[in-house]
Amino acid sequence: MVKRLNKLIARHVDTSQFPVKATVRKDGVVVLEGEVPDWKTADELAHRVAKSKKVRNVINHLSCDGKSLAYIPKKDLIEQGRALGTFDEADVIIVGAGVIGSGIARELSKYNLDIVVLEKGDDVSQGVSKANNGMIHPGNAVIPGTLKAKLNVEGNALYDDWASDLQFEFKRIGSFGLSYDKKDRYTPWLGWIAGRLNKVPGMRFISPDVFLEMEKDVEVRPRRVLYAPTTAYVDGFEVTIALAENAAMNGVRFHLLTEVVDVDVEEGVVRGVVTDRGTVKGKLVINAAGVFADEIAAMAGDQFYTLHPRKGVIAIFDKEKKGPDRSMNGRPYVYQKNTKGGGVQRTVSGNPLWGPNAVEIIDKTDLSVQPEDLDYVMGSGSVVCPGTKRTDIIASFAGIRPADYKEDFIIERSRVVKGFIHVAGIQSPGLAAAPAIAKMVEGLTADELGELTRKDDWNPIREKPVVFSKLSPEEQERLVNENPLYGHIVCRCETISEGEIVDAIRRPIPAVTFDAIKRRVRATAGRCQGGFCGPRILEIIMRETGLRPEEVRKQGKDSYIVAGTIRDRYDAADCCETRASVGIADGVAQETGAHHESA
Amino acid sequence: MKVLETDIAVIGSGPAGLAAALEASRLGKRVTLIERSDDLGGILQQCIHDGFGLIRFKKQLSGPQYAERFIEELKASDVSLLMDTTVLSIENEHKLIRAVSPKEGVLEIRPGAVVLAMGCRERTRSQVEIYGTRPSGVMTAGTVQRYINLEGYLPGRRAVILGSGDIGLIMARRMHLEGIEVLGVYELMPEVGGLARNVYQCLIDYDIPLHLSTTVKEVFGDERLEGVRVVKVDENRRPIDGTEEDIACDLLVLSVGLIPENELSRKAGVLISPVTQGPVLDESMMTSVPGIFAAGNVSIVFDLVDYVSDSAEAAARGAVRYLDGQAPSAEPLDVILGNNVASLLPTQYRVDYTGDELSFYLRVCKMESNVRVALRQGDRVIKSRKMPVVRLAEMVALTLLREDLALIESGMPLDIHIET
Repeated sequence: MVKRLNKLIARHVDTSQFPVKATVRKDGVVVLEGEVPDWKTADELAHRVAKSKKVRNVINHLSCDGKSLAYIPKKDLIEQGRALGTFDEADVIIVGAGVIGSGIARELSKYNLDIVVLEKGDDVSQGVSKANNGMIHPGNAVIPGTLKAKLNVEGNALYDDWASDLQFEFKRIGSFGLSYDKKDRYTPWLGWIAGRLNKVPGMRFISPDVFLEMEKDVEVRPRRVLYAPTTAYVDGFEVTIALAENAAMNGVRFHLLTEVVDVDVEEGVVRGVVTDRGTVKGKLVINAAGVFADEIAAMAGDQFYTLHPRKGVIAIFDKEKKGPDRSMNGRPYVYQKNTKGGGVQRTVSGNPLWGPNAVEIIDKTDLSVQPEDLDYVMGSGSVVCPGTKRTDIIASFAGIRPADYKEDFIIERSRVVKGFIHVAGIQSPGLAAAPAIAKMVEGLTADELGELTRKDDWNPIREKPVVFSKLSPEEQERLVNENPLYGHIVCRCETISEGEIVDAIRRPIPAVTFDAIKRRVRATAGRCQGGFCGPRILEIIMRETGLRPEEVRKQGKDSYIVAGTIRDRYDAADCCETRASVGIADGVAQETGAHHESA
Repeated sequence: MKVLETDIAVIGSGPAGLAAALEASRLGKRVTLIERSDDLGGILQQCIHDGFGLIRFKKQLSGPQYAERFIEELKASDVSLLMDTTVLSIENEHKLIRAVSPKEGVLEIRPGAVVLAMGCRERTRSQVEIYGTRPSGVMTAGTVQRYINLEGYLPGRRAVILGSGDIGLIMARRMHLEGIEVLGVYELMPEVGGLARNVYQCLIDYDIPLHLSTTVKEVFGDERLEGVRVVKVDENRRPIDGTEEDIACDLLVLSVGLIPENELSRKAGVLISPVTQGPVLDESMMTSVPGIFAAGNVSIVFDLVDYVSDSAEAAARGAVRYLDGQAPSAEPLDVILGNNVASLLPTQYRVDYTGDELSFYLRVCKMESNVRVALRQGDRVIKSRKMPVVRLAEMVALTLLREDLALIESGMPLDIHIET
């Protein structure tokens, strides 16, 4: 096999200049090492190797400009965490509070299990689940026979139950696969064939006239239209928060701002994890760490895949802009590999959404948006809606797909460590597959821990929060009489009341950052982007949480909104001035210092 | 649900709302002034710098002082105030207003006429092309102003300002005085966006550098802003490769323009002009929905507060005439934007207008010296005014008195232009 791989390598890189080495492990995993001229080469090579016969998966340790995707232990944090000691103990430790981790937590909360979820972000849904197009794919864009295909179709069907139990916004209105001319004439047919093989229900070709009747905003007439009625739309963040809230209601403990930096394994058995805040003991670790799942696997001593970040940029437009309600492909779709992206649709809240594109990057935390990203997104979408301009974009953001080189989901019990389950490589259609993934992991958990017994008092219902602007005047009146905070409109772009913001802060997963509040109630997401309501939201967070102004964050540890108060600065200046000009005795200086502290 | 009846409902109590409510009250109408916050004066309350009221009061007042002159008169008047009350919708046919407040719950207000005076809002990061990440520390100048002047917070420590509009210039000085290091003001256009006096008083006096034809291209920082990349632009405003410079800062202040706030106007079915971004208005400041009027920055973004107050009084007079059944009813003449006119208010005129005077407000496309601003109907000059210079930043007012208005005939459109 090594010979075959070396040939492959020589086809991609000039090995005299760039000595790239492939090692084949006993378990069929290929490790690639060496320096490559550019990241595109590394990506193409690793994908080709993954396609070779008998290769289980690929670990990519190739480096480019001194950067690589190899796991480097965070020694300081491991030491710090161990020194802090144990702060929690559970049967099941779930790493990552995205839609996968939260979905698994909620599924397992049915049983008599003590469960903790560890999340390094300051809210749930901070990674992959945050920035996606919210599409519940029907299952006709995945390669038949893959785990992805199976779980996509199953997951899609399970969404009705999730939506009715968890009460998130859910629209099952279908999607289209279009061809515009000869060049892309196969696009709908590929969807048709894959869909048939994957057993996607209800799929059919419809006439362009019927299509144009369904989507009145579309300005071009396609040649052929494939309609998949089971496609649905959600807000990925809302689904995740609903799952997490319901899990928390049923006893799951969520630790936010808690980064797992090591996994404790003794004699092949998992004992717990080390975090930057201390250690957590547990019998089973479920690795749902999104784009970092390969690193968590490495910590457990069972890395057999590399997750290569694939960035996708999405553009959001004002609700008033024209655009189709259902997802459909633009044109560049047919020319770009490894993506189903690049379409046009509308979010569940009604904003036209274009994108995402797909760019292989080396830095898993690079969420920057570049001009060329929007060039692609606009180029693709303007085929469907030529009237929409780049200046109409109200927000653009990037998300990262956690792809392995097999481009399939990895959901299995560890073959080397007892008490460790991999849930990795959950890229698109991961959101659609999430309910099926949760069920599959439920089965794997029973395999690990033995038979699970059900709780008597499990409550599957998570009540929808109040949305003031959507109530009738009578209901609004009743609500304001009960709680006057609902009569105080804080965000005027989206008509959000103070009551709704306070609710978000007080729910089972408290929203205490600007972005957490934005994703729950849409305050600061409107046209003024927080210009008017930002200062008022800051006050509300401070009042409800007791935080000081500089402790209120947007998202992330250092994302303070304001640097402090003007008063602090003057008090500090006063102290210095008094000390300098009068040269007073120590006692008085201390007093001034105390004054500064209390201010 | 509480139901209130009134002659004129004024929405917003900034300079426009205050002036409109007072004028309508002076003319003997029952007026209800609806304000969403618990203070009167709107954005004036955070504008603690001076320079307000030079035309109207011949004095350099601060924003709160300017507001106070109106608020005192208002308190002595019989205008009813609905404070802490947010308008949720305006139904256009019957001008029925639905509003909510913590104290009163949901209110239904049934006015004879409505004056929209919601002001304007700032353009945000999403309306200018800035790439990169989405950290905290990118805010509009007005938000920074509010944090510093009203809330007493320090929004950052090292600031870069994008855009040389008036609020940006004023905040450059304000931040400098509060000990924030202001690294520079960057302006995409080759010309400064704010008033000349502000360039001197706010930048030059404090050695704050101004960089024209330069913009912020990208921001850095995953959590808090860590820096920006600025780049020079050519005459077509495209970045010039190789002129990029990275600046470490934790605050990017955007002063990139204002847009009339017309969420409610749209809900009320009012036609919005693509030129002013405000409602299409006639000579009486009436929108396309009869009985709904617009005042101040809702109609067009003014430069001076004095004009805001004037336009609001005109709107109030229009509303009073409407209620009295004296609204002009002739077919409106269009007022066409001629040479070097970028935006204009109003854009319609009815020859049976009975007001004593009428002001046209316009902004130019480019700076020109020794010009004449002229309103014509066909070959006839109705009114003109010589000006030594016209600038992008400064609004031009052309006021017609009764005898000028008498020259306008029915049939032919009017046009207004800058003659060199």
